[in-house]
Amino acid sequence: MHVLEARHLTKTYRIGEREISILEDISFGVPAGEFLVVEGASGSGKTTLLTLLSGLDRPTAGSVWIGETDITDLKEDELAPFRNETLGFVFQSFHLVPSLNALENVMLPAELRGDPRAPEKAEALMKRVGLADRRFNFPHQLSGGEKQRVALCRALVNEPEILFADEPTGNLDSENSDAILDLLLALRKEHGATLVMVTHSPDIAAAADRTVTLRDGRIVGERRHAA
Amino acid sequence: MLHKRFILRQLTRSGNQAAVFVLCVTLSILTIVAVNGFSESINRSLLRDARALHSGDIILHAHYPFSPALLDAVADLEAEGDARSLRIYDFYSVVRSPEGEKTLLVDLKVVGPEYPFYGRVELASGRTFRSVLAPGTAIVEQALLDRLGLALGDRLHVGEAVLTVTDVVTREPDRPVNFLSFGPRVIIDIADLEKLDLLQRGSRVGYYLMLKLPERTNLERTAEKLRSAAVAGQERVETYRTARSRIKRFFDNFLFFLALIAIFTLLLSGIGIRSALTALLKEKERTIAVIKAVGGTGPFVVGHYLAVVAVLGLIGTALGLILGFGLQYSLPLFFGNLLPENLHLVISWRAVLEGLVLGILVVALFAFIPLHHLREIKPSAVFRKESAENRRSAPFYLAALIIFLFFVGMVLWQLKDMKIGSYFVLGIVGLIVLTGLATQGILFGVRRLPIRSLALRQALRGLFRPGNATRAVIITLSAALAVVFSIYLVEENLDAAFVRSYPADAPNLFFIDIQPDQVDAFSDTLGMTPRYYPVIRSRLVSVNGERIDREQERKRRGDNLARPFNLTYRDYLLEDEAMRVGDSLFREDLEGLQVSVLDTVVEMKPMAIGDRIRFNIQGVPVEAAVSSIRTRTKESIKPFFYFVFPEDSMLRKAPQSIFTAVRVDRDEIGAVQNRIITRFPNVTAVDVTQTIAAFADIVHRFSLVIRFFTIFSIIAGVLIIISSVLATRFARIQEAVYFKILGAKGRFVLTVFALENLAIGLISALLALVISQAGSWIISARVFDIAYRPNPAASLLMVLATVLLVIGVGLSASVSILKQRPVIFLREQTEE
Repeated sequence: MHVLEARHLTKTYRIGEREISILEDISFGVPAGEFLVVEGASGSGKTTLLTLLSGLDRPTAGSVWIGETDITDLKEDELAPFRNETLGFVFQSFHLVPSLNALENVMLPAELRGDPRAPEKAEALMKRVGLADRRFNFPHQLSGGEKQRVALCRALVNEPEILFADEPTGNLDSENSDAILDLLLALRKEHGATLVMVTHSPDIAAAADRTVTLRDGRIVGERRHAA
Repeated sequence: MLHKRFILRQLTRSGNQAAVFVLCVTLSILTIVAVNGFSESINRSLLRDARALHSGDIILHAHYPFSPALLDAVADLEAEGDARSLRIYDFYSVVRSPEGEKTLLVDLKVVGPEYPFYGRVELASGRTFRSVLAPGTAIVEQALLDRLGLALGDRLHVGEAVLTVTDVVTREPDRPVNFLSFGPRVIIDIADLEKLDLLQRGSRVGYYLMLKLPERTNLERTAEKLRSAAVAGQERVETYRTARSRIKRFFDNFLFFLALIAIFTLLLSGIGIRSALTALLKEKERTIAVIKAVGGTGPFVVGHYLAVVAVLGLIGTALGLILGFGLQYSLPLFFGNLLPENLHLVISWRAVLEGLVLGILVVALFAFIPLHHLREIKPSAVFRKESAENRRSAPFYLAALIIFLFFVGMVLWQLKDMKIGSYFVLGIVGLIVLTGLATQGILFGVRRLPIRSLALRQALRGLFRPGNATRAVIITLSAALAVVFSIYLVEENLDAAFVRSYPADAPNLFFIDIQPDQVDAFSDTLGMTPRYYPVIRSRLVSVNGERIDREQERKRRGDNLARPFNLTYRDYLLEDEAMRVGDSLFREDLEGLQVSVLDTVVEMKPMAIGDRIRFNIQGVPVEAAVSSIRTRTKESIKPFFYFVFPEDSMLRKAPQSIFTAVRVDRDEIGAVQNRIITRFPNVTAVDVTQTIAAFADIVHRFSLVIRFFTIFSIIAGVLIIISSVLATRFARIQEAVYFKILGAKGRFVLTVFALENLAIGLISALLALVISQAGSWIISARVFDIAYRPNPAASLLMVLATVLLVIGVGLSASVSILKQRPVIFLREQTEE
């Protein structure tokens, strides 16, 4: 049973008279609990695929199914709470809200959901990633590694079914990269989430259950890795 | 060497921020240009029509019958064919309808046969003035017919005479109809003056002698000749060129207030200019960093952006000039028939040049700091997404000092009055410092509020977003609103205290010009014996031998020592008086005549016990020593006198009239007036409640104009809100996108932005409310001594209107931010 399924996804952009194709007829499924890596060179369409899968953008053609829901059919105001309850995000550029402190950033998705236990959940996660003493710091007072740990906590606070990660270690040094990756994988396991990650790091790809390779907007390869 | 293409590119791609900057510059000079232009137009019109405005070439004016010497000098001129003269008497009196059941206070003008020498009296019938006004007739204003229920051809009792109303006056050359008058106009031929029997010794009458000189006669020389014959300090000789008409005096004072508001708007727009330019240049920071990274020098960058700012500043100045002159042309709509006849609004080169210089100065001053900051942008900024914080260094404080000096200079240039100018500067600086400190305190508290609601917490956090002009917006809006609302509250309180409900203990009927021998009969007719105040008209000649400089005194904006004073004599203090210096009104250790003075006089000219004041009492010099200084314990509608002499002094023998003020039931005012006027036609009865209502109407009209002008300062606040939203566009989009990604609906983002604006609006409005309530309470209690009504309904309306305005403007400026799709923002960020 696939928790996430792409069916004939196509994405094109029109720039003036010119139509540019980013993705062409992409179809694949992700079973629950899988760690899937989407790899490919710059401009291959990885991030665009991630935004379509996560409902941040709409395909030109095709559909995305998350469980029993075709998210391409949902209106913007239906999609937002769906994202909040079902999906988690980790970005290369962290994307923390600058005016909120670390704890508030982590609490944010739970608060948007109206979860009264948001503070306790956020505190527990921060403690788990070793940032309990930094919880009242604002993003500009944190290092890159710390910011990404906060982003990780924020992605997991609502215990999502699927976690999307876009080059989560792209802005970090190797030491921090390894630490974040270890943490990401450990937390994924603890929460039992499906992980879809975009990266061009072969080391990370090697740690995945499966790798899908994109080139010029098409899937050109798929590899399964031994557990 | 300037690169024109670079400048053009920066100009065309500066978008909304540039528009806000241009509008702030426009706003800064708009009201000053309008007020200065209007002022100049009025002055030119008054000068051009000066002869008509004064009805003559030379104007002789006195409050007593002219001295024989001056009349002889005029007669000599006439005998030699050097002048023709005509007499005018101007005074208030009460007239009666034929059956005597209705009375009305009117402004009587008794004119000689040649009136007017210049200009034209317009009548409703269209006939010429001289063909209508004949002995036994009266030409009246329509209001008199309406109020007494008369028609043309009816009879009218004026003093002892009965005249026939023959026409209605619609315009006089020397006074716009309705102009600050407490009663309608009645014009009578001089041949009827004696029949009226209204001129008694000591009556309050304006005596005028108008002279018309043949062409080519030396105006100044003739005037000088007359001046040498006139009684100094009692008879004024002026030419149409030098005389300040009532209209001119009025407009001088009124435009003075508009100038105050214009400077206030200029200052607040200055804050807007700085705020908009800071935001505009912040947007350019990365461009500047790139220019510097590829070899552009600091002077290159500053020079080119200076050129960009100069072009935008010039566009704003040009717009300010155009709109300012437009506004000037719309001002007559507010004033209606209060404006001088044949007012021609002009746009002079001087006004254009003034506006241009002002625009350049304002831009240069307020743009200095943001431009100076460009020097501090490092090439390494290309790698940063957030801009560096502006640090306050020596140039900041220097610029602040220069701006302050410029502001003081502007005040002195516009107001031309050192004392009031200093008070104004202190008041405005105090207001801005007060709102600044209060804003700082409130924001300090808001930052620490423990708030559970996510939307509200995020909204309040938004107030402290880097680049947000929260403080500038709150200071500007609250200061502007405080001024507008204070004017409204004070006017409302005055209206409530004096017009809607007249003070219960205040006299409401004043009787002027009672003759000393009429007092007993007057008390009988009135049915009570009120307190009578003898009134002796006089002028001040010198204090301790130092002559009163009449020219200088007349330039004062408030009360002055050059005007005639009413003296009285008594040995007791009034109920609302207290001693300020001395134990009793008069002293035993002083030789000769003594006088007790009111502290208001001492404020105009410092005096101490024993100082010698010389008066001119209708031609007779009298010197007295200051024996005490009194003060009034409250400002009320009760009679008071600046100078009080002892009961048994020689003043008892001076020509005098008697004044009294009584409280009569409102329903009986008409009957009492009738009784008195029928028996004593020379006495003027003034229904104070009616007079105050007329005055309130005029005050209301001008308060409207002042409030209209003050609204421009609120627009400055609105522009800063827009500029602030534009300046923080990136941060706002970022917040909106992150919320949406994490699962917030569009409504949540809208709520956060609306709550943020609600907080700004609410803080500004409440701050303005507190300041205006406190200010109005102080003015009402201390200056006017009236009970204070805080007017909660209007206060609530002001707060609501402000909040709606701020939310409306803030959200309108954020529409494109709210529509931003997360994926586009994320893509842009990733591409970088």
